[in-house]
Amino acid sequence: MLLTPFLHQCQQQPDALALQEQDRQISYRQLLQRAQFIAAALQAKGIQSGQPVAIHLDRGIDAASALFGVLLSGACYVPLDLKNPVARLSFIVADARVRVVIGSGGGAPAWLDDSLWLDIASCSEAIPAPVEISAESLAAILYTSGSTGQPRGVALSHRAISAFALWAADLLALTPADRIASSAPFFFDLSTFDLYAVLGTGASLHFVPSGLTMAPARLSAWLSEQAISGWYTVPSLLAFLTYKGNLAQTRLAALRFLIFAGEVFPTPALIDLAASLPQTALYNFFGPTETNVCCYWPVMRERLIAEQTIPIGLPAAGCELQIDAESGELWVRGPTLASGYWSDGRVQPFFNADGWYATGDRASLEQGEFRFHGRLGRMLKCSGYRVEPAEIEAVVNTIPGVKGCAVIGMDDPTAGQRPALAVVLEPDMTIGEIRKTLSRQLPAYMQPSRYLDLEDLPRLANGKLDYNQIRVLLES
Amino acid sequence: MKEKLKNFIFAELIYHEDPAAFGDDDNLLDAGLDSMGIMRLIMFAEKEFDVTLPDTEIEPDNVGSLNSLENWIRRSGHA
Repeated sequence: MLLTPFLHQCQQQPDALALQEQDRQISYRQLLQRAQFIAAALQAKGIQSGQPVAIHLDRGIDAASALFGVLLSGACYVPLDLKNPVARLSFIVADARVRVVIGSGGGAPAWLDDSLWLDIASCSEAIPAPVEISAESLAAILYTSGSTGQPRGVALSHRAISAFALWAADLLALTPADRIASSAPFFFDLSTFDLYAVLGTGASLHFVPSGLTMAPARLSAWLSEQAISGWYTVPSLLAFLTYKGNLAQTRLAALRFLIFAGEVFPTPALIDLAASLPQTALYNFFGPTETNVCCYWPVMRERLIAEQTIPIGLPAAGCELQIDAESGELWVRGPTLASGYWSDGRVQPFFNADGWYATGDRASLEQGEFRFHGRLGRMLKCSGYRVEPAEIEAVVNTIPGVKGCAVIGMDDPTAGQRPALAVVLEPDMTIGEIRKTLSRQLPAYMQPSRYLDLEDLPRLANGKLDYNQIRVLLES
Repeated sequence: MKEKLKNFIFAELIYHEDPAAFGDDDNLLDAGLDSMGIMRLIMFAEKEFDVTLPDTEIEPDNVGSLNSLENWIRRSGHA
């Protein structure tokens, strides 16, 4: 169902370029073939409709083939962030009740049960049995930080991803002539644009070589040489490109559009980007993973004011938005909404009786446009990743010798926010030990930037932690 | 120069490392220096050492360690 537009393109223009990764190129026909072999191998392993299959591959041709293979088999995919510590990876594989893990190069990693491993190179030429896929079947489970103290899987249906992809392809007027850059890892929802909007319209997808995100002038030269016509990425990378990407000397004549999401784009940097690329349309997309994209703003250059953050704009993809009068919280309902959280092997819906999902974001509506004003709860945004302080606290509290702890977010010009940790330790425990343990259990963007060893955690009269006082102590 | 760079990096860009234990040839990118961090580091270095660091030379090889950063800044004109 989600792959229907892609399958249509495979018939229309089988020999057109689908994916390019460095010097490797494959056509729509070849991509479909690889996906079919993988789907058949999954079915041979007994995979049933809707069962989760993890992807242990970095973004690229192999990983994209694996995702499509999973969908053709009727299963749903769980992309792993290979930079995560083993403890987190094995938690996700267990929590999702993954039946197969697709990888490449040798056998299963040491932490994984061999019987789950499927090497992409071992998939023989076979055609999978056709499967019936309903719109509400799950297509993907994307893990984000969870407020319950563990990573949490957001379960996206074929209907939800399709709704976004079709809307986006229409908004950007994608055609088979487009050449779209792709830099989003598949565990980020940004990747659904690359995989389904782009490959559903017959355009080609070009994976940005990973080293280039650290070499902005080579990145802009690459965008130029590849005649890239569009790119959906994050503001921090576009800001780097604006200031250090040698844009004045680089001809980006083909670049029709840039879309950004995931963080607030500082308006002064956006003004400079808009001035460097006068011919390129710019779009701000907004939405938590639970809604994929629920709001968008086509950047109107004449309305950019350095001191003012840009709006998140208008409802996207047929979503309805409303603001809860009491709390100022943004509520969303509509076709792009995820089915719920994946828990105990089934979907736990997160919307109310009328289908509204409460995002936890504070927003306002001004002259027909929505504006974002930060989070209501404790969630942080660190280097574009969602981080729930409760998840870090839960890990710290499991370390022997910890009597109590509290995590807050501190503003950071590089990462947006970074976690900071206040902790109460037993006499023989040290901050150094905590630091060492956390580096094995949590990904880099969740590592506390500051540590404070306290005798006691400050509390309010009602016994709850006094986060304001903890912040004062951590900032002093 | 190296000391100034190191102080800036560990005060502003990478927090979770133990600066004293971080060697001059150790990899800053592996330690968590990301593209935004590199951008701020370059802006700091250009101002602090009064040099212009060419966009086209921003490469993992030049910003990957304290030693390579220092060499790059010196090559770019800082006495």
